[in-house]
Amino acid sequence: MPKTAKHMYDLSSVLPLAGLSAVRPGSTLLVSGPALSGKEDLVRELLADGVRNRQGAIAVRTDGNGADWVAEIEAAVEPFPGHRVAAVDCRSGRGRDEQELDTGALYYRVPDPADLTGIGIGITKSFDRLRDAGVTETRLALTSLSTMLTYADRRTTFKFCHVLSSRLGSAGYLGAFTIDSTAHDEQTMQVIKQAFDGQIELREAGGGREARLRGLGTDTGEWTAI
Amino acid sequence: MSDSDPVVLIVEDEPDVAETYRLWLEDTYTVRVAGNGEVGIDALDESVAVVLLDRMMPGLSGDEVLEQIREQGLDCRVAMVTAVEPDFDILEMGFDAYLSKPVKSDQIRDTVENLLERSEYDSLLQEYYSLVEKQATLEATKTSVELEDSDEYDDLTARIDDLRDDLSEMLGGIEDDDDFIATVRELNDAENS
Repeated sequence: MPKTAKHMYDLSSVLPLAGLSAVRPGSTLLVSGPALSGKEDLVRELLADGVRNRQGAIAVRTDGNGADWVAEIEAAVEPFPGHRVAAVDCRSGRGRDEQELDTGALYYRVPDPADLTGIGIGITKSFDRLRDAGVTETRLALTSLSTMLTYADRRTTFKFCHVLSSRLGSAGYLGAFTIDSTAHDEQTMQVIKQAFDGQIELREAGGGREARLRGLGTDTGEWTAI
Repeated sequence: MSDSDPVVLIVEDEPDVAETYRLWLEDTYTVRVAGNGEVGIDALDESVAVVLLDRMMPGLSGDEVLEQIREQGLDCRVAMVTAVEPDFDILEMGFDAYLSKPVKSDQIRDTVENLLERSEYDSLLQEYYSLVEKQATLEATKTSVELEDSDEYDDLTARIDDLRDDLSEMLGGIEDDDDFIATVRELNDAENS
């Protein structure tokens, strides 16, 4: 397909697992683990790492403030290329609105996580913005699907994930979506993970944290201390 | 045209224009024509697959007709036909495609075809989801040895793989922003209806 990113995404400097040093453009990952296992920090760092490597970053937050993430990425990347960063927030409580932050980052808000159309519009506007900036490689993080699942049923959430994954696939972008593995039954986890190309699992072990990778065309990896 | 052809409803207040659209479409589709918004709403039912909706009409405007279509939760795709290049934010509007007048015959045919393909995509996605649910249920209730011996599980896995391929080939997966927004909007409408 034309216009898609040709380069593999190297995520190994954020998470040193076999299989993450060359991730195919258009791949999407489910990042799962219990509360406080570092899922959010991990995907935010994936975005910051991309921005450092001249890529675009899109943060979709159903459960927190997207502008805060932009600020944290700004603090981690110097100089900060605001035109390559966009955030979609799902907690405006009112209508949809679009603004540009002082840094030049795009900030789009929808009333609540049930407004999937609004989230889709925010993501599309972010794509537009990044295309205008001449960016061909972009990472998108969505956090979290657990919140989305309290607003939309499993069927709708699964389809949304599938359709967004498909869109990221044709754009050649990389996607990382977080879910709290202890907040849902096994059936839900089994179904949701089918919408993604791979899964990064996180857990606490022996006072430290461990991660492993499944899917992405590799065998399930070993638990690795991070 | 036969009874099984998809139904296209043309809502257009200029009779000549409506007639032209009908001539272009009637070989392939069952075509209904409504001369204004009120008649258009009366002509709507579950069988209508695609609506070609003129935006500027006396009486009910295209926007108002669209609003009623969405409120009634009708499962049809709407292409708005506008006299000028839209200056509004087309993403925020609730329609699935737009056409600028004067509309050419191949534009209309392509648009209707694309909208019908999107509907088929939605059906396949629903089937895909149902199979993934079934697969997850089997995985949760059977041991890995039982799954290995299960023909049902084998068939299911093969069908899921096929459907995944079909979905990624159709529309080139979700090839562009229009397809993406229209598909997500359909999810949202289905969830709320």
